Amino acid sequence: MEAKLKKLFLVVVVISIPIGLFIGHDHVHYFWHKIPSFEAIFGFLGAILLLGAALLLGAIARKKEDFYD
Amino acid sequence: MTNPVPPFIIFILGAMLVPILKGRLRQLFLLLLPVIGLIDIINLPAGTSWVYNFLGFELIFARVDKLSLVVGYIFVIIGFLGIIYSLHVKEAGQHVAALMYVGSSLGVVFAGDYFTLFVFWEIMAAASVFLVWYRKEKEALDAGFRYVLMHLFGGALLLAGIVMHTVWTGSIAIRTPIHELPFWLIMIGFGLNTAFLPIHTWLPDSYPQGTITGSVFMCVYTTKTGVYVLARCFSNIDFVAYMGGAMAVYGVIFALAQNDARRLLSYHIMSQVGYMVAGVGVGTALGVDGGIAHVVNHILYKGLLFMCMGSVIYVTGKRKLTEMGGLAKYMPVTCVACIIASLSISGGPGFNGFVSKGMVIASAAADHKPILELMLTLASVGTFLSFVKLCYFAFFAKNEEITAQEAPLNMQVAMVLTAFLCVFLGVYPQPLLGLLPYPVPVDYHTFTPGHILATIQLFLLSGLVFMVAKNYFAPHKGIVLDFDLFYRMGGRIILWFCEKPLNAVRSGVQGFLTNEVEGAAVLSRNPYRAGRLIASYFRGDPKEKYLAVRNEPYNVNTYRIPIGVSAGVATIFLFLLTLVYFVFG
Repeated sequence: MEAKLKKLFLVVVVISIPIGLFIGHDHVHYFWHKIPSFEAIFGFLGAILLLGAALLLGAIARKKEDFYD
Repeated sequence: MTNPVPPFIIFILGAMLVPILKGRLRQLFLLLLPVIGLIDIINLPAGTSWVYNFLGFELIFARVDKLSLVVGYIFVIIGFLGIIYSLHVKEAGQHVAALMYVGSSLGVVFAGDYFTLFVFWEIMAAASVFLVWYRKEKEALDAGFRYVLMHLFGGALLLAGIVMHTVWTGSIAIRTPIHELPFWLIMIGFGLNTAFLPIHTWLPDSYPQGTITGSVFMCVYTTKTGVYVLARCFSNIDFVAYMGGAMAVYGVIFALAQNDARRLLSYHIMSQVGYMVAGVGVGTALGVDGGIAHVVNHILYKGLLFMCMGSVIYVTGKRKLTEMGGLAKYMPVTCVACIIASLSISGGPGFNGFVSKGMVIASAAADHKPILELMLTLASVGTFLSFVKLCYFAFFAKNEEITAQEAPLNMQVAMVLTAFLCVFLGVYPQPLLGLLPYPVPVDYHTFTPGHILATIQLFLLSGLVFMVAKNYFAPHKGIVLDFDLFYRMGGRIILWFCEKPLNAVRSGVQGFLTNEVEGAAVLSRNPYRAGRLIASYFRGDPKEKYLAVRNEPYNVNTYRIPIGVSAGVATIFLFLLTLVYFVFG
């Protein structure tokens, strides 16, 4: 069940990207608004960036619950 | 029909009646108050009313325009939902604190002058802290004290700014301060309630410590009145706009690292308030509208999220994500409500966050702030990740040990109603858009294929990262330090400074003075020996001898002078006087 859902999800992800070639951004202000499927790229890289930032934060600033006691 | 009153009166008077009532009657009364409040706000006349002269200034209790109305409506509606959620609470004090809090927030919203605003501002802080203290555990009491200290600090800055503004302009009407110093003081005073960086630490510190029902109220009013007053006075300021962007990103990064479910939500308040602040700071019609629409939507989905996590804590007693998991089959209503709220806060198409978040991001792009646009988009990636994490680890992750049942009926009803509003405004946002302060620009459309696809792609690809790297997202035990490290350590340094160096100076001074006073007291018992004491001191007599002189009691027979000596001195004096009189007189 879970494996099937994962496969379905992957299929949807793959399909969603080429659709960006046909549907553009509504208001083009900057160069990235012209890149097809820019949000897909941004979502992928942004998620990795944020995960890295959160892991780094955890490594530096995570302390035991009783740190302040 | 009686005339409408400023809405705060209904809630603050109502709060005072709550302790008298009992059982069903009290529940009915509690439910009735926000209904009366809503009818009252609908009937408030536009413009200013309830104006009083006070020491030559005008106090305005009801300033009614589109901005105050839309915030007033949503405050009363979530008040109603929050009251349903907390109907089972028996302690009258919690209801009193909540109603005072709602009432004072409405007082701020409808205040037309800085004095009225300030008074309600302080009542808000004082009333809301009881929603934390009512949990009655040591950590909650401590967090409450820190909360109150920070808000008093913010209030003091605000008051200083207001006094300067009033003295220099001669008016207490709420508007953007002209002079630089009051401008920054008032902005920081407002900003503390809005969780500006780095004075946001009271928020993730105290909100997770509140009572289950209290946190539902707390997550709504304080920060949103902050956004409201920023929209009144500090719209169209770049500093505010970028502060919003920074809050949005900072909040999601910290949220991703949290383990306590309600602390995760608290960091998301900061992040979402960042969107509102950014919209207000951009200051265009689309920006302010987006910011205020986000206030309304955020109140609904964040209230719902706190309700859901509150239900989980109420039923299981567990507050950490590491202890939860597998709750979906035990608490289906809570689970579905939580998913709806998560999609709303992430801005999924068809849910209310989609509408307002899109407006704010579009306003940043249209106002030539590309960095801000990217910051806000990045924050929505983080929001989605964070809520996938929350839902997954609370409701779906494997946990064999946990058993639970659904929360009490009143809590479920509140969750279902709030979830309905999130979806309703997501599918049909027109009622909300019609209430916004400015007409939404005609070239902006909410549901375009471009917007919908962009959001879906953002979700899908960040979801892919979550799926692949799920283990890295897993919650960890422990707390994550924030800027409050500096405040708390600073507080301890001040305490140490008072206890050690300052106390040493005090005890030194006190010892010296005590010694001197004691010496004077001893001397006054026998002043005659002063001369012998001084002589003994300068001779360098041994201590015993010196003390023998010092402790020598007054003895009448040693010191009394024969009366003849006095008579002789008096006679000589009289003789001299007579001589002077006859020679020079």
